[in-house]
Amino acid sequence: MARVGVFVCFCGANIADFVDVPTVVEEAKKIRDVKFAIDYKYMCSDPGQQMIRDAIVQHRLTSIVVAACSPRMHEKTFRKALSDAGMNPYLLECANIREHSSWVHQKDKKGATDKAGDLVRMAVAKSIANEQLHEISVPVTKRALVIGGGIAGIQAALDIADARIPVTLVERSPSIGGRMSQLDETFPTLDCSQCILTPKMVDVASHPYIELIPYSEVIELDGYVGNYKAKIRKKASYVNFKTCTGCGACSQKCPVKVPNEYNMGIDKRKAIYTPFPQAVPNKPVIDAEHCTYLLKGKCGICAKVCEKGSIDYKMVDEVIEREIGAVVVATGYDLWDATPYEEYGVGRYKDIINSLEFERMVSANGPTGGVPVRPSDGKVPKTVVFIKCVGSRDKAKGIEFCSKICCMYTAKHAILLHHKVHDSRAYIFYMDIRAAGKGYEEFVNRAQVETGAVYLRGRVSKIYQKGDKLMVRGEDGQLGQEVEVEADLVVLATAVIPDKGNPALARLLGISYDKYGYLSEAHPKLRPVETAKAGIFLAGCTQAPKDIPETVAQASACAAKVCGLFAGDTIKKDPMVSTVSKEFCSGCQNCVKVCPYQAIVTEDIPLGHGAKEMRTVAKINEGVCQGCGSCVAICRSMAINLAGFTDPQIINEIVAI
Amino acid sequence: MKEVSYFPGCSAHGTSEEFDETVKMVMKTMDVEMEEIPDWNCCGATSAHTLSESLSYALPLRNLVLAEKLSNDTMTIPCASCYQRMKATKVHMDENPELAARINTAVVGEGNYEGKVAIKSMLQYCYEDMGLEAIKAKVTNPISGMKLACYYGCLLTRPKAITQFDSPEYPMSMDRIVEALGAKATPFDFKTECCGASFSISDTDIVLQLSGKILEMAKESGAHAIVVACPLCQSNLDMRQHDIEKKYHVKYDLPVFYLTQLMAIAFGFPKAKMMFAKHIIPVDSALAHIGEVIEEPKKPVKGKKAVQAESEVE
Repeated sequence: MARVGVFVCFCGANIADFVDVPTVVEEAKKIRDVKFAIDYKYMCSDPGQQMIRDAIVQHRLTSIVVAACSPRMHEKTFRKALSDAGMNPYLLECANIREHSSWVHQKDKKGATDKAGDLVRMAVAKSIANEQLHEISVPVTKRALVIGGGIAGIQAALDIADARIPVTLVERSPSIGGRMSQLDETFPTLDCSQCILTPKMVDVASHPYIELIPYSEVIELDGYVGNYKAKIRKKASYVNFKTCTGCGACSQKCPVKVPNEYNMGIDKRKAIYTPFPQAVPNKPVIDAEHCTYLLKGKCGICAKVCEKGSIDYKMVDEVIEREIGAVVVATGYDLWDATPYEEYGVGRYKDIINSLEFERMVSANGPTGGVPVRPSDGKVPKTVVFIKCVGSRDKAKGIEFCSKICCMYTAKHAILLHHKVHDSRAYIFYMDIRAAGKGYEEFVNRAQVETGAVYLRGRVSKIYQKGDKLMVRGEDGQLGQEVEVEADLVVLATAVIPDKGNPALARLLGISYDKYGYLSEAHPKLRPVETAKAGIFLAGCTQAPKDIPETVAQASACAAKVCGLFAGDTIKKDPMVSTVSKEFCSGCQNCVKVCPYQAIVTEDIPLGHGAKEMRTVAKINEGVCQGCGSCVAICRSMAINLAGFTDPQIINEIVAI
Repeated sequence: MKEVSYFPGCSAHGTSEEFDETVKMVMKTMDVEMEEIPDWNCCGATSAHTLSESLSYALPLRNLVLAEKLSNDTMTIPCASCYQRMKATKVHMDENPELAARINTAVVGEGNYEGKVAIKSMLQYCYEDMGLEAIKAKVTNPISGMKLACYYGCLLTRPKAITQFDSPEYPMSMDRIVEALGAKATPFDFKTECCGASFSISDTDIVLQLSGKILEMAKESGAHAIVVACPLCQSNLDMRQHDIEKKYHVKYDLPVFYLTQLMAIAFGFPKAKMMFAKHIIPVDSALAHIGEVIEEPKKPVKGKKAVQAESEVE
């Protein structure tokens, strides 16, 4: 005989304002199997949980119904209360009378109360059929995969490796370093980006627990938390890294010139190249798309000049496999192409550049030796107009979000411009100055006071050429009038967008992404580094625009999560998984097709007891199964059972209303 | 032979007669039969939509309903303002059947609006329906040597949601057409700036300022003349040019052609038929350039090379 306890929560005013809680309790008491029912202001608080624990003992309850918020919020809390009182935690049922009733029926208290009563009746009926379940333990492979070798990936890899957990770091380009390696100085302290980054890059290469695989991409990920299998495609570099000394003779002699990605296309690199002098690993690769020998079979100069004979034109892509337990995704960002701003003449005027191009010019190791110049005539600009929010916060042009870092780096650019060209002046058109961060507001003030940067609050409506100047016409909202600035150079702070490969990568990993291509976290506030898929974490701008401090913090958070996951030899997992009754399974394998997690395989069993003939049946890997129930719905033989959501439980619920 | 409905608008019968005349020449050359909408009425222009939204739709709607009675699937309009009002009415009617039903009651005597006729400006018709290749094929007297600043004004390509044609900020269709005629289109940043429009009458100073800027930039682009496809643009840039020159102590001497006038010349029609006498700024100086060879200025030092040179010095 079931003895059910019902605990109805006021949730402060969240539930009580729109649902008559005492009435729900009275209704619950009328249900045959309910032996105890009570309400309380905050059931999730310690006194509330104590009421549950006490009632379990006093009234010898066999299952518990908590009518409160969504189980996503507090199911774990209440399950713990049950196990503290010596009861199997899976004998709990949550009736969600907040999200499903009080919040959505705020104009109809009677209706909301009736619905809450129904939800409680259903939960009680279901709980009667609840069975004792026990957490599943799955083994864990203690190796992490980090995708992306920018500052996010570097930090995550170093932190995980420092905990003596092996890390495989995969980087798409020939060197790690990412966007940060392209920056000159960093806000708000103006310390040199290279000086703080390159030691970390070297640490990565020399760390005994880090396996660095540059010039590679992850092409497949199978498995489940703690037990993933990754396939990594190592692109052919055509250079034997083992014998190459990195002398650079090959790059010097190579006759093919290609726009240099590291310098945002401002200058040229060779077809055999090391991205930049501080690259890690400091070995060249051949760009197969441009190499004359690989394309036409002629040239071969690099092979001739290489004293070590390290050039190998016959090298092919290689696929390697790694068994890993967790993944950190850190694919970084790109800048939005501002061509849709036709009124600015983007693409028509050479002297309109984006902020990364400006960053490369003012960089000490940049193509112009640290002095900004006009791309049109090579002259040093005296008047530079910076335009913020180009693309960002502009619904009409495509992107609604704030790119977050532009206010700060534009202030930095104003300071750097002043440092490099003393008699110059910066004009900055802005919508708002968003300088929330330690030392940030002070930094913007510094830009305004120290460099005399003119901040003009307003949008630019047009840029046109007059002689060799660019006329920037905009609004000065504070004066309430139109202004025109005669500029030598215009720098656009274009929107920060995710890497364009993100959607494909997300599909490959089985995680979700938003409409812009940013990868989605599991919860915007409480689970900001996890994805919805267990064991896959996000660091840096792959999730949203971020500055370096925030990126590093998130990367370290990822490392903490990975270390936590690997703390034991096994991982605990909810027991809500499907099982197959082999005797009923007809072997149709429809479940194999519908399973979104590839958790179902087939096995051959004897046709009958002791028979030699075999038949095929489905087999579910409980480590992979996420308990979605798709297989249960598709199974025509009713051979699959999902623990916690069995047929008797569901039928009881339906009968109760 | 193609057929198209034609809505001339009031300007074509008055200030922009030369536009109307040359449109007819161009259409004839391109083997397009034009059928004027019978008993057409005012489009409402600037006045109607400042007074009453319903009226601003009802006036064009009557014309749209009349156009549907003809068998042609497209109606072309030389005047940018008429085009804008008709197209706006069509777009709003097509998107909002409730509004269409309500406005239709005002013109129900003429019939029911069905939305089956496409509305195109003369420029759009030339660019999309005739096509650059066909236009090029009909050129017997190329106007090569002329450098032209193509001025679109505010209504031919904007707002994008209404016109659904070319770029709202930096359109190129007219540039491409004059290039097909043999001329050179100059890079002209003010091609969609406001000329001051009907403020010409109520607050002339505004027009002098705005149109003055357009003339200045056109001159700076190296153009011999301006090309337009809108009667009001033509009248402001042409008729007010002397006032502008006087006010700002400058000399522009920039004739303002209708696109179709230049097309007609290129198609071999005699100059005498273009009604150039109606222009305030004489056109002869600009037409004298026909046949000249345009020397391409030496390309300035490439930016990236300059950058490289700089870095080598460092």
